[in-house]
Amino acid sequence: MGSYADSLTYHYLGADAPPTREERIGACHAFCGSCGELAGGIKSGCAQLQNRKFAQSGGCQLTLAVGIVSSFTNVVMIIHSPLGCCSNFVGTGGLRKTMRASKGKPNEEFVWLHTNLDELDVVQGGIDKLRKAILYAEKEYHPEAIVIANGCVPGIIGDDVDSLAGELKDQITAKIVPVHCEGFKSKYVASGYDSAYHGVLRYLIEPPQKEWSTVPGGNEEKEAKDKYRISRTVNIFNVGSNSNGDEIELSRLLSAIGLIPKVLPLHASLDDLAHIGEAALNVSICATHDDYLLGHLKERFGTDYLIDTLPIGIRNTNQWLRKIAAYFHLEEETEKLIAFEVSELNKALEPFKQVLAGKKVFVGGGETRILTTAEFFYSLGMELTGVKAHNVDRFVEDILEDMNAPKLLIEVGAGQPAEELNLLKKLKPDLYIGHMNANGWVSKLGIPNFPLFGQSLNYMGYSGAFELARKAVKILKNTNFVKNVSANTSLPLKEDWYDRDPKENIKEAVNY
Amino acid sequence: MAEFIERAKFTCALGGALTTIAGINRAVPIVHAAGGCAAALSGTYNLAAGYRGTGYCGGTMIPTTNISENNIVFGGEERLEEQIENSLEILDADLYIVITGCQVEIIGDDAVGVARRFKDRNVIGASTPGFLGNTFKGYDAILKALVKDVITPSKVKDARTVNILGTVPGHDVFYRGNLDEIKRLLGTFGVKVNTFFGTGESVADIRGYGEAGLTILLSDQAGAETAKLLTEFHDIPSIKADLPIGPSGTKAFLFQVGEALGIDKEYIEAIIEKEERHYYSYLERIIDIYSDIDFQRYAVVAADSYYAYSLTRFLADDLGWIPFITSINDITEEEEQENYRRKFDSITSETRPKVLFKENAGELLKEVRNSWPYNHNQKYYDAFGPAFVVGSSIERGLAEKLGANFLSVAFPVSNRVVLNKSYAGFRGALTLVEDLISELVSAR
Repeated sequence: MGSYADSLTYHYLGADAPPTREERIGACHAFCGSCGELAGGIKSGCAQLQNRKFAQSGGCQLTLAVGIVSSFTNVVMIIHSPLGCCSNFVGTGGLRKTMRASKGKPNEEFVWLHTNLDELDVVQGGIDKLRKAILYAEKEYHPEAIVIANGCVPGIIGDDVDSLAGELKDQITAKIVPVHCEGFKSKYVASGYDSAYHGVLRYLIEPPQKEWSTVPGGNEEKEAKDKYRISRTVNIFNVGSNSNGDEIELSRLLSAIGLIPKVLPLHASLDDLAHIGEAALNVSICATHDDYLLGHLKERFGTDYLIDTLPIGIRNTNQWLRKIAAYFHLEEETEKLIAFEVSELNKALEPFKQVLAGKKVFVGGGETRILTTAEFFYSLGMELTGVKAHNVDRFVEDILEDMNAPKLLIEVGAGQPAEELNLLKKLKPDLYIGHMNANGWVSKLGIPNFPLFGQSLNYMGYSGAFELARKAVKILKNTNFVKNVSANTSLPLKEDWYDRDPKENIKEAVNY
Repeated sequence: MAEFIERAKFTCALGGALTTIAGINRAVPIVHAAGGCAAALSGTYNLAAGYRGTGYCGGTMIPTTNISENNIVFGGEERLEEQIENSLEILDADLYIVITGCQVEIIGDDAVGVARRFKDRNVIGASTPGFLGNTFKGYDAILKALVKDVITPSKVKDARTVNILGTVPGHDVFYRGNLDEIKRLLGTFGVKVNTFFGTGESVADIRGYGEAGLTILLSDQAGAETAKLLTEFHDIPSIKADLPIGPSGTKAFLFQVGEALGIDKEYIEAIIEKEERHYYSYLERIIDIYSDIDFQRYAVVAADSYYAYSLTRFLADDLGWIPFITSINDITEEEEQENYRRKFDSITSETRPKVLFKENAGELLKEVRNSWPYNHNQKYYDAFGPAFVVGSSIERGLAEKLGANFLSVAFPVSNRVVLNKSYAGFRGALTLVEDLISELVSAR
């Protein structure tokens, strides 16, 4: 997969807003068929030009963008939009506490503001209100940064947030970070990650000034030490869907081969971000999240980066480690580590394999995670009935190929439970593993399931593989909950919908 | 002009429309907007209304036109028509309600007009862009559409049937339990209660709401426009009442409604006596622990106007707590603030609360601190406390900073799960006492 990531260039920081993923990468967001057909369709460009006749609500890039920037320490968020955008903070704001606690960071109350744009603002523009909100945030909370997420309304009416940021820059101490993440601009919600990192790259990554020592020879010694440290340091780029357990496991593995892992950028302080350039290699755990950031960091600091696979399951964890090891010429140490870890893990997995062998599984969610998760359960002897991806782009070309399952059913769509439930009712898997917001529907259909990711469970690395298998076996120990709710609640889909082929719902489109 | 709000306890009009539709049995929204609006806004009330969930057709199940930049330039009405047609084919519902987001309203799509083309197939439409305002605007937009397009006009009125307005599903986290208790209470008079969202009510029932003789409006901020329209279209008068919580509030409510319906006062008194006896027969259980440990608390109440007065009154008049500050987050007009403030004049505790109107959640801490004499490290200091914060999940931080106990009642409630619980009436107040006092003994 490195080949596709290597073919991209990163030179977008001159503009206020990043290009959408449709423009920059191209992605398929509506498809139903086999993996083989999809791979062909993506190569020819046809798969990217499909759409739906009947569509259901998926994600919004604003949510994803805000998920990144709101995690930083000591920031205040301003949502420049009517009241609805990010109103889900009232339900999720408290998660900041648990997430920070799991990382051993002190509790910090999450503060956000809505500019509360109304009809009058649609006509007159909302900049004055935004100015007031910024000054209030500065006065009341003295944050290190005030991050402004721009919604559809200011995007359409043309509020010039960047000029305002420039105007206020020298009047307040907080850094002002505009993030352009208007939902209507992209159907590919992962565009939100680029929007967030665009703001981070432009406004928050300022390397600290060098400190000069007054002790004779002090500078030389410090530089030599820094140089060595940096030459061994690996930045691991975390994502909103990983847990602290995942970060500990991946850090453990890199430490074991003599490297110095640092986990960034979620939940980081601005000081952590300032030092982001001090690494020999930037390593992604999910291309969908951070190629834009890693690419631009290479332009800025010359740091090489690795965008390969997601370290879930044995094969993909091995591969992730080997790629990093190759960069540092640590192959020998790494092979020893892999051999030791895999032999211990395989022994531990043995009882789980006996339970899971022959059972059918379906996996839905983000492209990289579903393919690696599916591969892992396949390796435990389960039968793959199908996968469903929010979107598919060229980052997963190699993973798709490595799966070596051209006939495997793949559905592409963000959300779209009507199509997914139609497939599941026909496929009748024993176990479903899916993205947040999908599992409830699957429970109502009566299929045992568990979440594809979670902030309190370890999924990645070798320990994560064990936890995943353990979770699957646990779920199957009692399936009464889904049996009971499916018998006593109803889904809104008509009976004859289940007889139809969901492929019929996909249509050719004229543009993205 | 609306101001910016720190940690608003609301979503927008589209979100309000979605949570309202989700409260109606077998009603399905069709959202003409960008792809993410519906699931995200529905998600606000799925989580923060005590984990109410997506319901029948919420969250990612919501059909949406999923318009993008191209439609912003060329218009999205054709796409909406295709989406309605396919939604009717795939989704099973008794009513389909087309609603709109900011993007399509700014470009001038006539979504309600498109919906009208499908009106003989149980489709209605309402304009609900986020910039119209908060949740309540969306609630009224949907109910007004029901009043105009669904409720059948009826010349014959039943004097013993009432419609309830002002209880916003999800925004009142306990809406179903509360409506069920109000139904039970008025049922003791032989009154039939239409609530739109109560247990067992259907779209077919809503069609018959035109036969009601009276509307009871339980909120100053939600439902007033609908009540007016019910008078205009269906000739149903309305009265404004406070959400009844606890013996004092519920007695006042029953007398007020009874009078409006011309029910014999003695009959009402007899029912109240029975209800009150039942209430105190259970309350008696906590008298010992309340008295032995002194469970009287200074109360800080932070809620919307639907709950704020009713909760304060219950804590002060019934439970005997000291109402210290009540902060209301949803009234911005000065005159309305003054009217609302006057309600508190009738509170019977020796101490009356300071009544504040604050939209910004963060300001309450300063207000509490500034409202109590400062500790200058004098030898004898009359400290603030013991205190209890009754608010929303957002006030949890406030309670921690004050060293106070805490219960979330007003939206958002994200720190506990709510199923059939109610805080309304006599029965609901028992549950409220259970939850308040449980906070005080939970460490034992």
